[in-house]
Amino acid sequence: MNKDIIRASSRKGLIFGIVMIFLVLINFHIMAATMISKLLGTNVLRGSFPEVRFMIIFLVLYGLWVGWSAVSREGTATGKLFEGLIAGITTGALVALFGLILFYLLETQTDVRRYLTNLSFPSINIFLLGLNGVGIPVHLGLFTLTGLVGASLKVGIRSQLFTRTVQNIKSFVNNLKLRITSLLPAYVHKYGKYFFYLVMLFLLFLLPSRWGAYNNFVFGMVGLYVILGIGLNIMLGLSGQFMIGIAALFAMGAYSVALLNSPIPHGVMLGFWPSLVVGMLVAVLGGLLLGLPIMRLRGDYLAIVTLAFGEIIRILLNSDLLTDFTGGPRGIQNIQQPTFLARPFNDVSYAYLIIIAMAVSIFLYYRLENSRTGRAWLSIKEDTLVARATGVDVQKYKLLALCVGAAFAGLAGGIFAARNQFTGPNDHTLMVSINVLSVVIVGGMNSIPGIILGSFALRGLPELLRELETYRLLVFGALLVFMMIVRPEGLWPSSRPDLEEKGSIGLQENIETEGKEGRGNG
Amino acid sequence: MEANKRSRPKLTRRNYSKIIRPIFGIMVLGYILWRLYLVLIVQQVYTAEIWVRLLISGLIIGGVYALIAIGYTLVYGILFMINFAHGEVMMIGAFAGYFLFEFTKSINVAAPGEPPLSFSDGYPLISVILAFLVGMTIAAAAGFFLEKIAYRPLRKAPRLIPLISAIGASFFLQNAAQLLFSPQVRDYTNPQAIARGSGWTIMINDARVIVTYTGALTFILSILLMIGLYVMVQKTKLGKAMRAVASDKNTAALMGIDVDVIISRTFIISGALAGAAGVMWGLHNGLVHFFVGFLPGIKAFTAAVLGGIGNIPGAMLGGMFLGLIESLGPTALGISYQLKDVIAFVIMIVILIFRPSGILGEVLSEEKV
Repeated sequence: MNKDIIRASSRKGLIFGIVMIFLVLINFHIMAATMISKLLGTNVLRGSFPEVRFMIIFLVLYGLWVGWSAVSREGTATGKLFEGLIAGITTGALVALFGLILFYLLETQTDVRRYLTNLSFPSINIFLLGLNGVGIPVHLGLFTLTGLVGASLKVGIRSQLFTRTVQNIKSFVNNLKLRITSLLPAYVHKYGKYFFYLVMLFLLFLLPSRWGAYNNFVFGMVGLYVILGIGLNIMLGLSGQFMIGIAALFAMGAYSVALLNSPIPHGVMLGFWPSLVVGMLVAVLGGLLLGLPIMRLRGDYLAIVTLAFGEIIRILLNSDLLTDFTGGPRGIQNIQQPTFLARPFNDVSYAYLIIIAMAVSIFLYYRLENSRTGRAWLSIKEDTLVARATGVDVQKYKLLALCVGAAFAGLAGGIFAARNQFTGPNDHTLMVSINVLSVVIVGGMNSIPGIILGSFALRGLPELLRELETYRLLVFGALLVFMMIVRPEGLWPSSRPDLEEKGSIGLQENIETEGKEGRGNG
Repeated sequence: MEANKRSRPKLTRRNYSKIIRPIFGIMVLGYILWRLYLVLIVQQVYTAEIWVRLLISGLIIGGVYALIAIGYTLVYGILFMINFAHGEVMMIGAFAGYFLFEFTKSINVAAPGEPPLSFSDGYPLISVILAFLVGMTIAAAAGFFLEKIAYRPLRKAPRLIPLISAIGASFFLQNAAQLLFSPQVRDYTNPQAIARGSGWTIMINDARVIVTYTGALTFILSILLMIGLYVMVQKTKLGKAMRAVASDKNTAALMGIDVDVIISRTFIISGALAGAAGVMWGLHNGLVHFFVGFLPGIKAFTAAVLGGIGNIPGAMLGGMFLGLIESLGPTALGISYQLKDVIAFVIMIVILIFRPSGILGEVLSEEKV
């Protein structure tokens, strides 16, 4: 029993220690300390290093987390504290060992930045808390202590006294709420929701002209990703087709607008609005051309083929073959700005355009989801065989989903190109597809609030917190894995009850039948 | 009668792909034949030694693809899942080999008084063997942990969930490598004896064709590893268990096979092969960076599909075939060398559309059903 505890918690401590070493190697500790100092109101100049005390706060927080998560569900209070202590000691020992190596590097002035690019001397110095060799035992002590404290915190919070207090407070608050709402007249109950929406809408229309060009840019990015996410969701969430090549459709919209509005490759000046429609049509055509031959493919093959499609489009745009036609690697510059009522667009008007496009997309999405078509898509996703048996034209509807999704992607692409006044192959890499996929998966499939939340969290936040930008894609990758394991339905799951087994996002057939089908085919 | 009339148009309407797929196929085939006719018969600009050169490079790169493709096939055969992060495992192997070569290069083994001689130049054989061992071990460990962290909790989930997780893992590994080792492109430091570009010279029509040492090493080693793997899967107890798990997990578990352990070992083996491929890639092409595994990974997947995924000889054949097509294709079709990746992707799409079971697909289904 005791041995098991020691083994389990030292294992947890080991994992935390390895993670900590990894964080130091990618320079995350400096970023975290900078963020903490910003939160506490001490600004750190760009390029300089934060003070040591913020590093200590980061380490303490990390140590508390170690202790917190080392505590298992069963066992006595002392046993739990013991678990936290063991985990803290293991983490501390590992980190101290690592610190020893870093100290050696610091003492001998060995520059390893040629291999480990982030391990600079100031960074090591701050990690050792500015104490050189003394920092090593300090790490060990710090993690041991914070492990114990973290565990005791968790034990305290889980204790009956605490739960009872929380329950009391909760019931008190609920009572208060009831009393207040009973005082209010009935129409507030009935129309309060709409009032809230109205206020939100008002704010949304007021903000772009108020909060400056940079925020408009960030907001526009978020809005475009919402539109792209809706497009992908129609393919992936509604009709269950795993599409990774949405960047290609995005590129079709962007290049249509760019080519029809730029003086350089062709000199066609069609104007923004018609070319936006053309862009959407081209994207639909692209979706159709992609969809027609690959309709019969199963889930993961479809994913790989669409990924290949996206890469083909990108390579073609980058190649010499199309340089005369699409500008090659340099892309298309000087895209003519759209006008509305003879006034040229600025960042505020783009923000409004994106808000309107977003609102229209959301409206269309809801109408589609609740229509006959939407039900047909959902039935295909849940069970293709049953859908076919009940008379759904599976191929037609799958194709339709690709085309509709492509139209959304084309719309986003067109606005994107015009807003940036530039588009090139590097705007349409696999990253874009992965970003959109992350937005939809992390936010929650089939859930518009989820997609909006996802794009705010994944696109908006990293733009606003510039320090995080370096780690954005790393976090995306980790988030995708983490979400799949812990919460496959997303942060804000759709309210539609999941018809399949719990914990699934319900994509096509289950493993067994598909496995057999797979063997039959190949 | 009436019912018949009404159902007729529906039937044709449903089968778009029956019309579209042949048209698509004829277009692709026609284009290929037209280009081949132009280049091989009308123009005839390329002489024999160019073809030999391309053939050699195709075989070498094909060996690397085959090794990676085997990893895809092994995992797919057992879990029915595309291990999207497999290319990144190869990248990790390549980096491990790179660091080992840097390390052996920095050790001086010259006797005092003589000009400095690094370990890797003094004992090239030992350092190459060491590099392969280290690369394979670390990549195998990466494969093991990848399965344990990203895939094992999702064993029972619907099929696309592990795929999303795999994409996430792939991105995570790529970006972790970028943050750890910086995005710069690094040169592999080969031992002097097998420096890049050096090799045996063959004369063909009075033109010199060089068979590089690194290329020969890559090709021979990949063939040896493939033979070793084939023997292992066919003859040893572990191989037997792997085949049993691949054909039916539940029954295999009833027969006393620990399915989890076997899956774990499959990932270790496929990781080791990918690691070897990574070191070969580094030795032969000389470049290593965080993105090095992505394209070979996707192409190796293409190779696995080409040969019929889940089928080990198929993956070997597919890899070789893809390597040859990729090096001969741009020249034979007379298109820009920039588009060689497009050729691989188009082949994959065409194969998936027309023959999802791959070239050797039938063998597999006979064996397994």
